[in-house]
Amino acid sequence: MKLYCLSGHPTLPCNVLKFKSTTIMLDCGLDTTSVLNFLPLPLVHSPRLSKLPGWVSKDGTINLEKRELLDLSTIDVILISNYHCMMALPYITEHTGFTGTVYATEPTLQIGRLLMEEVVNFMERVPKAQSATCWKNKEIQRMLPGPLKDAVDVWTWKRCYSMQEVNSALSKVQLVGYSQKVELFGAVQVSPLSSGYSLGSSNWIIQSHHEKVSYVSGSSLLTTHPQPMDQSSLKNSDVLILTGLTQMPTANPDGMLGEFCSNLAMTIRAGGNVLVPCYSSGVIYDLLECLYQFIESASLGTTPFYFISPVANSSLEFSQIFAEWLCHNKQTKVYLPEPPFPHAELIQTNKLKHYPSIHGDFSSEFRQPCVVFTGHPSLRFGDVVHFMELWGKSSLNTIIFTEPDFSYLDALAPYQPLAMKCVYCPIDTRLNFHQVSKLLKEVQPLHVVCPEQYTQPPLTQSHRSDLMLELQPPPMPYRRCSVLNLPFRRRYERVYILPELANSLVPSEIKPGVSVATVSAVVHSKDNKHTLQSVPKPPPVAPSKKRKRVMDEPPVVMTPKPLLSGAVPLEAFLATLQKHGITEVKVEETADGHILHLQAEDTLIQLEEDGTHIVCDNNEPLRTTLRDLVLRFLQKL
Amino acid sequence: MDRECVSLLPRVCEVLAASGSSLPDDTSLEKLLDWFTEVTKAGTSLLESCPCLLEFISSVVHNTTLDPSILSFTLRLSGLVAVTEDAFTVLQQSSVLDLVFNLQHWQEAGLWEDPCIRIGWIQGLRTMMQHPKALGFFVQADFLKPLLQLQTDKSLFVASAANQMLAHVLLSCQSVSSVESNGVDEEGEDVGRSSGSIADLEYPAITVETNQDYAAVVTAISECLKKSLVPRKNSQLHQSLQILKLLALLLAQTRAPLWEKLLQMVADSVYELLAAGYSQLVLPLMDVILAAHSDLVHTAQSARVLLLPLDIITGLNLLTTTADEQQFSMVEQLKNKTSCISMICVCLTNTPQITLTAADCLPCPPVLIVTAVLSLLRLCSGDFSSSSSSSSSCRDVSRNIIGSSKVQKCALEALIALSGSPGVEVKLPEVVTLLVQYLDNPHSDPTVLHKSYQALVRWMSVCSDLSSITDQHRQDLLQVATKRSCDIRWEVRDSTVEFLGRLAGVSVVQTTAEEVSDASVALLGGCCFTTPLLRAALQDPESYVRASAISALAQTLAASWQQGAALTQEHTEIVNQLLEVLSRDTEGFARRAVVRYFIAWLSSRSSHSSPPPLASSSLLMPSVRSVLSRGSADLDWEVKVHTLELAELLLHEAFSGQRGYMKGNPTQTHPYAVIPDTLHTRTHNEEDVVGELNSLVQWGVVSALLSGLVDCDRPVALRACRLLMTLREVVCPLSLGALDATAAMAMVAKVTCELPGCGWAREIRKMLATKAKDAERGCSVGEVVDCDDCGEAGQEAASGGGQTPCVSVCEVLRSLDLDERLDVLTRSSDHVHNSPFSLLQDILTASSAHSQPDTQQEVIVDCY
Repeated sequence: MKLYCLSGHPTLPCNVLKFKSTTIMLDCGLDTTSVLNFLPLPLVHSPRLSKLPGWVSKDGTINLEKRELLDLSTIDVILISNYHCMMALPYITEHTGFTGTVYATEPTLQIGRLLMEEVVNFMERVPKAQSATCWKNKEIQRMLPGPLKDAVDVWTWKRCYSMQEVNSALSKVQLVGYSQKVELFGAVQVSPLSSGYSLGSSNWIIQSHHEKVSYVSGSSLLTTHPQPMDQSSLKNSDVLILTGLTQMPTANPDGMLGEFCSNLAMTIRAGGNVLVPCYSSGVIYDLLECLYQFIESASLGTTPFYFISPVANSSLEFSQIFAEWLCHNKQTKVYLPEPPFPHAELIQTNKLKHYPSIHGDFSSEFRQPCVVFTGHPSLRFGDVVHFMELWGKSSLNTIIFTEPDFSYLDALAPYQPLAMKCVYCPIDTRLNFHQVSKLLKEVQPLHVVCPEQYTQPPLTQSHRSDLMLELQPPPMPYRRCSVLNLPFRRRYERVYILPELANSLVPSEIKPGVSVATVSAVVHSKDNKHTLQSVPKPPPVAPSKKRKRVMDEPPVVMTPKPLLSGAVPLEAFLATLQKHGITEVKVEETADGHILHLQAEDTLIQLEEDGTHIVCDNNEPLRTTLRDLVLRFLQKL
Repeated sequence: MDRECVSLLPRVCEVLAASGSSLPDDTSLEKLLDWFTEVTKAGTSLLESCPCLLEFISSVVHNTTLDPSILSFTLRLSGLVAVTEDAFTVLQQSSVLDLVFNLQHWQEAGLWEDPCIRIGWIQGLRTMMQHPKALGFFVQADFLKPLLQLQTDKSLFVASAANQMLAHVLLSCQSVSSVESNGVDEEGEDVGRSSGSIADLEYPAITVETNQDYAAVVTAISECLKKSLVPRKNSQLHQSLQILKLLALLLAQTRAPLWEKLLQMVADSVYELLAAGYSQLVLPLMDVILAAHSDLVHTAQSARVLLLPLDIITGLNLLTTTADEQQFSMVEQLKNKTSCISMICVCLTNTPQITLTAADCLPCPPVLIVTAVLSLLRLCSGDFSSSSSSSSSCRDVSRNIIGSSKVQKCALEALIALSGSPGVEVKLPEVVTLLVQYLDNPHSDPTVLHKSYQALVRWMSVCSDLSSITDQHRQDLLQVATKRSCDIRWEVRDSTVEFLGRLAGVSVVQTTAEEVSDASVALLGGCCFTTPLLRAALQDPESYVRASAISALAQTLAASWQQGAALTQEHTEIVNQLLEVLSRDTEGFARRAVVRYFIAWLSSRSSHSSPPPLASSSLLMPSVRSVLSRGSADLDWEVKVHTLELAELLLHEAFSGQRGYMKGNPTQTHPYAVIPDTLHTRTHNEEDVVGELNSLVQWGVVSALLSGLVDCDRPVALRACRLLMTLREVVCPLSLGALDATAAMAMVAKVTCELPGCGWAREIRKMLATKAKDAERGCSVGEVVDCDDCGEAGQEAASGGGQTPCVSVCEVLRSLDLDERLDVLTRSSDHVHNSPFSLLQDILTASSAHSQPDTQQEVIVDCY
């Protein structure tokens, strides 16, 4: 059993598990932090950005080196745990020869599609006249200025996929529900479990009859909108692959939410605007719910909230229809019937308005001071770029970062100098180290595999020994491009036996409760299922003179030699020997039994626990006699 | 003692001695005992006033089949009876005492197993132990041994009582022997015990004898302490724990020479225990060390032990040298999260005290301790940048306290207390920086934030020189206070608003001008920053926050009131907003705060020496008028009481200096008390009185008082009644006879007030009408004088509908029977139910119901 680690990013994992003749990819997260190396894509021409000094090189064709850890076309299935961890799907399923199936829950598919659509939309609406790839060559990259020079693995950076590719990739998704068991080629069974992190988010159990591997990705124990995490099903795992812990181990989501609200209220009261760069699904639902309660207490009743995204409408509406994937509280609301999320009420009362983009309706209804939620959190593309240009110069305005995926300082870099206030309240509801160590104590896996980042304290806080995994036995760390041999050996395989064959068996009891029978059968293996069938009777020899094919030849049936069991009792055996005229016996005790030296016959009999040897030279009759004497004491099966 | 009760007592005793099962409820015996204790404390001898008790005790003691609760009661009662020497002698002579406290007696009856008998025995003995005879009895009967055994009793209550008892015995030995020594020296020094008679000539022989007894007791107890302190095996840990508790109790209460003797006896064992490092014993051991701390030699030692955890965690070298094994054992202790947190908390709680000890006992200067607390606070919030300890064991320890609100709170409390230590002012900038960081930290618990605010105010008020505070500090604080006033948790908003008010009350010196201003001005720029925040908080959905905002506004504006600054537009708006709150707010807290705001404003005006500026008055008095009318009509009784306080202020302002006016409660002065001359010598200007009374009526003070009088809430009615009586004493004292006695009186009598036809006024009118009827019948007192356009008498006023009749204030004051009303009001509503007489009756009734089962009715006791 092997694990190929294709991603070094602990929260955007991509691992391939080879288990019992299946090749399973676990998630395919897309690390988009590389976009921070690019300039923002403004919707309208930005004189400031275009005036920045450029670096020009002639583009030619240089073949970029390719490094492949494994052939993507050999992947049988991809298991997706949540919509953030599937953004690389088109890169894997398209143009690689991939022919397998992708498994995901319905909300994961639908919201994942929205997020992909959004990114594609953001990219395609500002087409670039030309593109260059030569700079990715190491030799040229070395000549580039600043941080670009030091960027690693530039050759892996790819163009954004197209909508067509997204559709094609998503058409390979097969929907599954929580705890639904999916058979893969009869070899293993996979099953998603609720992970409590986002709508439809799941952990996966991959098990055969005798082995169980758990894959834990982004999970949360907090009471937010999704169904709570299913912990008990993770018990008794041989291996637990642990990824997707919180990226902000020192920032508790509640504190951050409070910080978010007070900074928002403070800015609005002072007459400023608030910009919240965020993804169009996920934490935004909780933010809106929290604000729904907070609006009244902070007397923000009249301040408009805008949610701008090409998929804003779908995201808000999708969240309301996935009732079965929500936490209990929200589920019960549906029966009243009421919309599970209060943002429906915010929309109804006109407090929250959503627009596909800043064009059109929005520009006519835009009122300040206001709060704007929009993407992309990297501040490199999407409508947020426009708001940065619009509001960045006033110190009354505030930008509040809530997504933990990007360093806010790097994100802000191209907008400097900035008068706008910046507040960093990353809200990451995924498990923290305290919670995960409790969880592991509960479910007790035999082995834990995790990204190497989790086995030591964060670099910036090297003294915080509480911010790492401390387990016994220690977890197996992996890094990008590692190939791990998972530390367990498969010992057993299940084999079925056909009823008629079972009928023919004659078991004999060798000790109380244990019976033994010999079986002669043919093993029939199909779809990783092994069945014992009776040996077909030899067909009457065909009279035809046709040339026999080897394959048609029935197996030669031979009655198997009986199996012997039991032990030879020394005293009784000596007595029997004496009866047969062998009197001169010297008994020597050994570690495993006895050696009998028949001195007259110059013969040795070794009696051991698991075997008896008769050593006599060229005296076949004696050997046969002795053998028969030994056999008298043994049982035959 | 009440004669009625005494007459009932014999029958009650009979009932109790017969059977205890028929008691009305299980608290009756406790109540009875409480009553006896009260009687004894009042100086009455129980045995003299209730001779039946002796008979009761002796009959009960012989009847071991009785309910154990009755027996336990009897044990405790015997102790109480024998509390005086005379009664003790009587009991002893009747040989009751020997049997009552005879252990063997109870053991043979198989009753000793019952913890309530054991506790009764201990408590009875303890109550009795007030005189040398009792002590002699104690020693002769050799009760010390069983008592020491009871210390590790399986019942916690018994064990704790035994501990208390042991301490009590030792302490009484101490006081007796010190009296003895004083007696010899012929020095009548007071030792806190009323009877110096112990060393009286009457018992010279006993004294000598008992003195030996005392010595024996002291030696026995201290021997036992010494012996049992160090556990020989694990099962004895509990015993050690108890002994440590006893020791802490003793050391805290004994004096020299006993104190020294004790310490000498146990010192070695304590050191042995310290070295052994039993984790369960650490905390009680610390208590002992704390109790031993008052002596100089040990102070240094105990300070070192107490500071050790802080030294280890922060890595600051607080203690120059420490024994390695001591350090190691402490580190091991601290690695356990629970014990780490409690140990650090004990350490922090005592640091302020340590810094106050003599400098030569301190292992380090107080400033270093403040540094350590600050460093600890940084560690708590996960900031290791300043930590100087790098060893892995210290890291293991530090992780136990990261994010612990308990440690944070303790440390902040310590920081508050340390602000008073000598030479710590230099730390002010660092303290402010840290506190602002705490206030800014999104993960701070609301209670931690509250403490941080308190600490900030405290350090501001102690270090009144703010020259070391930088502009950056000010800006950060401004920012963080603004942010916190928008916090999602109401507790935090509340603390913030409260802080803004408190800060305004702290006066400080600023660098540049050497001018005294308040800290709010110095730190936050004063009103222009705080007032808008506070006004925004008036809209807060949480009533506590609104209330705090109102009081903070009062504190912020107090300075401008005192300086008599001119009114601003903002001021007027605030007042309107507050009046709005008073009439609209759904929660009592906010409305109470509004009334308090006006009380503060009014009193700052009254304390102001020069006459109030017209502008301020022009806003204040009309508002006060609406506050009085709205406040007295409020549904919340506290708002009404506050409103009456406001009325009292006005009353005081009007009449202070007038004859007959006494601030506060007129009934509290003794009828024969000498009235200060000043009150007599003041000229009694009737015209002034008329004028003031008229304005009081106009402001609505009289209406407020009258409506208060008929209020259904007792505290309101009581206060109103007292104030009305005060008013009566000033304007028309009963002693002056008829209202028209003098021309001046006649003028005062002409002042009238309105009695509208609804609510409280109707009640008043009814009362007046009844009084008038009585008066007609009895043909006394004058009639009710009405104003011209109204009918003749109160009767008509009572029946009269639509119009608003007026009545003479004096007439009302005189006819309302205020004195009688005060009498009724001062009694609590359950005074009948709670009397000992009622208790005795209950016991008798319950027993008769029990003895006649046919007529027995289910007594349903409401338990809630």
